[in-house]
Amino acid sequence: MDPKKSVHAVHKILETEGRTELMPRIARAFERLAAREHSRNTVTLTVAHKRDEAQSRQEAAEALKELGADAHTLETYVDDSLIGGWRLEGREHLVDESYKKHLLAIYTAATL
Amino acid sequence: MDSSIVEKIVKEIEGYTPKHDHEHVGRVTAVGDGVVAIDGLSKAVMSEVIVFEEGKSKKLEDSMHQTSALLGLILNLEEDGVRASILGDTSRVAEGMTVKSTGKILMVPSGEELLGRVVNALGEPVDGKGPFKKPVMMPVERQASGVIDRKHVSVPLQTGIKAIDAMIPIGRGQRELIIGDRSTGKTTIAIDTIINQKNDPADKRPICIYVAVGQKESKTARIMQQLRDAGALEYTIIVDASASAPATLQYLAPFTGAAIGEYFMDQGKDVLVIYDDLSKQAVAYRQLSLLLRRPPGREAYPGDIFYLHSRLLERACRLSEEKGGGSLTALPIIETLEGDISAYIPTNVISITDGQIFLMADLFNKGVRPAIDVGLSVSRVGGDAQTKAMKSVAGTLKLELAQFRELEAFMQFAQDLDKATADRIASGQRMVEVLKQKNGAPLPFEKQVAILYAATHAFFADVAITKVIEVEKQFTEYLDGQHSKTLAEIKKTGLVSEDLKKELNRAMEEFKLAHTELFAMK
Repeated sequence: MDPKKSVHAVHKILETEGRTELMPRIARAFERLAAREHSRNTVTLTVAHKRDEAQSRQEAAEALKELGADAHTLETYVDDSLIGGWRLEGREHLVDESYKKHLLAIYTAATL
Repeated sequence: MDSSIVEKIVKEIEGYTPKHDHEHVGRVTAVGDGVVAIDGLSKAVMSEVIVFEEGKSKKLEDSMHQTSALLGLILNLEEDGVRASILGDTSRVAEGMTVKSTGKILMVPSGEELLGRVVNALGEPVDGKGPFKKPVMMPVERQASGVIDRKHVSVPLQTGIKAIDAMIPIGRGQRELIIGDRSTGKTTIAIDTIINQKNDPADKRPICIYVAVGQKESKTARIMQQLRDAGALEYTIIVDASASAPATLQYLAPFTGAAIGEYFMDQGKDVLVIYDDLSKQAVAYRQLSLLLRRPPGREAYPGDIFYLHSRLLERACRLSEEKGGGSLTALPIIETLEGDISAYIPTNVISITDGQIFLMADLFNKGVRPAIDVGLSVSRVGGDAQTKAMKSVAGTLKLELAQFRELEAFMQFAQDLDKATADRIASGQRMVEVLKQKNGAPLPFEKQVAILYAATHAFFADVAITKVIEVEKQFTEYLDGQHSKTLAEIKKTGLVSEDLKKELNRAMEEFKLAHTELFAMK
């Protein structure tokens, strides 16, 4: 259905029932739904340094494929707390290959 | 740096194999009142434990100093995500935080090393005595044993309280409710029962678990001290979810107690679990359910409030010999308002349990302690577990006391009473005195039998009512000193044979002759 026609139809129903003031709230609810849908489908790659991006993309390609995501839509962020490596997150999955994670695992094993 | 530490770190690094796991995650969309809404986690299961990822964007050194992982428990599976409760500090959770699925349901530690310790609802030690070394992990939620795995209740669990052991006997594997208004001695009965287990030989002594739900920390501390002073803490585990604990922990605590107990039951041991109290657990569960936006029902309790208690109390049982023969006895406590046992939660728990000990505020205020209402109290399965000795001396006690209560009311109006009625009232008054007992002083089974034998054979008939307790005390001491063999024989055989009856009669006669001043009815 044409979106314009859909909006028009909804507006007409609301007008008939005298509830047109609900229109902005309905629009905001749709905005929220769209934002949620976007965040669900977005896959992000976080790297420790900008210079590591290309290599990290290569290393994460396999994992990205498993998530069924397209490399072109991948959003990249830099987080120096990772120390090195990368972290791929999205579509309810997390693949953490950061140095921080591995160092923490060694620290926990050594101090237990 | 110490070379051994360096060696250890090198060893860890050399032996380290990185895991390339795909973790199943979600994202926190809302937090409030100990409950979080999470988007994602579509593969999560009910009661699954989740981990909040706190270290994101934190420096390595800050993550290293982080105390322990913050956990959550999934309680609602919804169309777009899940709702979970936070098992810890709510302020550590923020919107947008990543949440990792663990694929595991909640487990708590159990084992011998928990004896004498105080743990929280997650089984973490809170007594400052350090962590457990090699605990056995037990699931908090477990299906109760089925019909085939069970055996009928036939072994007594002595409470050490004359009124209970004589008239409302409890068997190992039974669920007996202790119900009454506030400050009527409910906890006292439970604690005395724990203390009395000391009279059992160590190999037959039940492991005791006291679960404090929504209680004041000061009360739990007092109970712990009382148990320690009585030498009962060594075979007791305290699970504490105080009034200041989050609602989730108060809801979980009884299940934790049951899980800890099940470990020992599976080992073929007997376990006694006290849930003090389930009214507060129900209130905590109501709070949690409303925050989880579950539809409220009667008194705003959720629809599954009955199932909450029934699935907990069904876990009490006596296992068959093939399953090791262990047992888990449950003594749940319910607090009533103005003695109203027909309220929602009390009726639910009454219908689930195998009987109830009803404590009355009026009796308590009259000085009858324990303030047990014999008419309303009942044990549905404990009769089979009562020893023959106790049955033989206390068989008609309940009926006699009930008759006395009826006559007692009549006595207030009548001026002249016939001799039979007057005698019955006098006998009832003395019996009430005999059944009185101080708190923290449970009586071994054999002494209870001897005293009740004496009481039902008119031993106290010539004693002034005000002196009955004193005479009883002296008679018990006399038996302990002069007739210890008779007591030992009752304990050993669990019977009052003809010979033992003669011995007891002789003891009564001797005592009367030696203490004529106590039997002068002044």
